[in-house]
Amino acid sequence: MSRHERRSPRLRHRPSRAVPALIAGILLLAVGVALVWLAISRLVNGTWPALRQGPRDWLAALAWNDPAVQQIGIAAIVAGGILLLCAILPGGFSALTIDDSGTTGAGDEVPPVQEQETVMTRRAVARLAKARCLQIDGVDTAAATATTRRVRLSVKTYLHEPGDLGTRITDAVRARLEETGLSPVPQVTATVRSRD
Amino acid sequence: MRQTAGTLNRIWLSVLGILVLAAGTALLLQANGALQALFNTAPAWKSVVAGDLSALFAPQWVPAIIVIIGVIIGALGLLWIIAQIPRKNRAGAYRLHDDGSKEFTVCDPSVLAAAVENRINTLPGVVTSAALLRGTARAPDLTLKVTVNDRADVRDLIHRIQTSALPELSGALEAPLQRSRLQIEISGRSQSTGTVVRSTGTVVH
Repeated sequence: MSRHERRSPRLRHRPSRAVPALIAGILLLAVGVALVWLAISRLVNGTWPALRQGPRDWLAALAWNDPAVQQIGIAAIVAGGILLLCAILPGGFSALTIDDSGTTGAGDEVPPVQEQETVMTRRAVARLAKARCLQIDGVDTAAATATTRRVRLSVKTYLHEPGDLGTRITDAVRARLEETGLSPVPQVTATVRSRD
Repeated sequence: MRQTAGTLNRIWLSVLGILVLAAGTALLLQANGALQALFNTAPAWKSVVAGDLSALFAPQWVPAIIVIIGVIIGALGLLWIIAQIPRKNRAGAYRLHDDGSKEFTVCDPSVLAAAVENRINTLPGVVTSAALLRGTARAPDLTLKVTVNDRADVRDLIHRIQTSALPELSGALEAPLQRSRLQIEISGRSQSTGTVVRSTGTVVH
């Protein structure tokens, strides 16, 4: 289970599934510890621990057509399905690509690089959008979330009649994201609410 | 910038998922009697444990086998948990050889990374930066994380990095960069609350 990749991994990647992996790892560890503890108790004391008595009696009296067996089977199917979905569903990318192809001129000294990647994280895009939004007159507070395809802004304004504030916000934020070089530029949507 | 166990997790979650799903399906088919019709297994009305459990666990070698199985399962679980810790996996010491010479110079990549960081920190709009070198002296990989304020001109900053910090690093190592990865972050502290360096307002005369 070792991974000693000495090369730089891509900065724009999908989720690593650390939470389901941690849960599964802890469950495996717990099963392993329980088995070792039971067997060592048997080796040291000469008898199996009393804790084993209950499950053993329950198992001895259990028939294949018992409802408990069906319930265990259904639970296993659900758990297996969840594990498979965790592995298969790709999830969203962690960052957005910045097109840096036009940043250097003909006379600039640029070293040859075999592979180049420039990204901005989703959190950074949301912060950039929020900061640009707060510079617009009429905006009181703003909150922003970003995915690789969409930036959502939730804005509160002092204005009783916001008018075209929403359009001005989306235009300004889109221009800022274009100016930054995001490729493709995510779609910007703004929800404007008046303060009571 | 750190390496995570994404591929490893996907593989093991898939393997466990398939095993648990297959076991659950087999259990459900056996409970309904469908498996008996297909593969002639035990009838559904029969007990799950055919013989005497006490006799099955009585031999001395059974606990030893259980210890081995428990250790294997526990070790796999523990290694999988440890693999979740993100790692930098930075390069070892670079050995700079002169062509035709037996001597070589050892260079700590963190020294070069610090020099790159110091260079980038002087660029306009940069709040902080972190550089990480991987690969070898002849084929170096550079990963950069640059945090800028929310008013910084990002394209200009990328241009400055590509035309100053990267050529300087490449020149110092006398080798082209194999991979250059740049991650731009925006500082959480709004520039409007700090030292504003550029006015975006309109002056009314």
